Amino acid sequence: MSPSFTILVADDNPVNRKLMAKTLQKEGFRIVTAGSGKEARRMAAAEPPDLILLDIRMPGETGFDVIKHFKADARTASIPVIFLTGVTDVDSKIEGFNLGAVDYITKPFHPQEVSARVSLHLKLSIATNSLINSQAEKLRQLTEAQASFLITPEQEPGARFGVDYMALHEAGGDFYDVLHISDDIYGYFVADFSGHDISTGYLTSSVKGLLKQNCTQVYTPMESMNLINGVLVEILPAEKYLTACYARLNRQKGLLGIVFSGHPPVCYVPKGGPPRLVGAAGDPMGMFQSALFGLTTLNVSEGDRIYIYTDGLVESPSTKKTWHSETGKMIDACDKARSIPIQLAPQTVSAHLCPNRDTQEDDMVILALEV
Amino acid sequence: MDLKAIGEDLGLEEEEFLEIVELFLETAEMDIDRLKQALSDSDIQALNEAAHSLKGSAGNLGFTEIYTLSKEIENATRDNALATIPPVLESIEKLKGNIQAALTAKST
Repeated sequence: MSPSFTILVADDNPVNRKLMAKTLQKEGFRIVTAGSGKEARRMAAAEPPDLILLDIRMPGETGFDVIKHFKADARTASIPVIFLTGVTDVDSKIEGFNLGAVDYITKPFHPQEVSARVSLHLKLSIATNSLINSQAEKLRQLTEAQASFLITPEQEPGARFGVDYMALHEAGGDFYDVLHISDDIYGYFVADFSGHDISTGYLTSSVKGLLKQNCTQVYTPMESMNLINGVLVEILPAEKYLTACYARLNRQKGLLGIVFSGHPPVCYVPKGGPPRLVGAAGDPMGMFQSALFGLTTLNVSEGDRIYIYTDGLVESPSTKKTWHSETGKMIDACDKARSIPIQLAPQTVSAHLCPNRDTQEDDMVILALEV
Repeated sequence: MDLKAIGEDLGLEEEEFLEIVELFLETAEMDIDRLKQALSDSDIQALNEAAHSLKGSAGNLGFTEIYTLSKEIENATRDNALATIPPVLESIEKLKGNIQAALTAKST
């Protein structure tokens, strides 16, 4: 089952129901609909949703009757309720708030306003539960620290990715993770920790936990990175920081948002066009609260590929290999790997760039994803 | 009438939007029938409800003319000015016809 939020939409007008359902589904939410107050109550009791959108003016039981019932039932009392009301109805708004609604949306509504408010209130709901979550997460991390935590392409086939992970030492290495945010939304994260020694081991499991908690579909990629940075600044020792790249793909919308935190540009290989580098300047993570990250958004289509890699792949102090001289080689290598299945593509690219593994001077990782 | 553009304004792909437009035409037809029946019965309550329903769907999909006309009918029921309604209803039907034509043109 997809790890997504469930939203109950209650409106007697089928056109409104369908419009809200379609809009919210594109954002990765799971939608259930009800055409009457009675149906809404029945569905919420059977399977409590994470948020409820409730029309006030419905025949039979009104939205107000329904909110009263929800608040009186322990199973549904803490679910945020946003009600939908006609624009001239000031009294409705006040009454709704008094009965415990968290917000209202006036009709006619723009579907994207509904999306925005739903995300906002889910975030608020998460924040109030987060104390409990973070304690539980800490405990889980302690026990998971020993387990292998670098996800393989086989473990997440829907993400359509491949990875070549080359660590210089056994206990260290760069870090990557792939997140199944919803059935059509995946997150891809690659990071390079400053200084590679055994103590970075515990940090990577913390980052993994932070990713899981903060890269859900209610947060934009930039919001996720800001949240994670906030915690990292607190927990990282003074001399440690990381450079990172986080790409969030929404297959339904054909959008790829990429956040750069002091990280090299990614190589974008459109299916029917020449490859090019896409990047943006941004501060590293874990150093200061006020860090500013770079953001780029690409419109992508099926078959397009993106390669995310750490700078170990293209820089080498000893041979004076620097990023600038290797740009052409990187683009060339990614171009050549077009017809290679995505799971094997990274190996092809790294072989092209660093044929001699014995002279590897730094950790390297290259992660490729296919839309 | 550029249905694709109206859909894009709402953040929807053409195919998704046309699906919803089809649903709108179905429910609008029912609302219009209800309005006609309510007019002949002089049933203010039913008139008000049907107009409200039509107004709601039209408004959310960006069909502002139907929205405005439906609102006029709603107001007329509150002012008990039933005589003003028939021409407004006729205009709504015409507009609905335009949307139907635009939709049919898309699928041919």
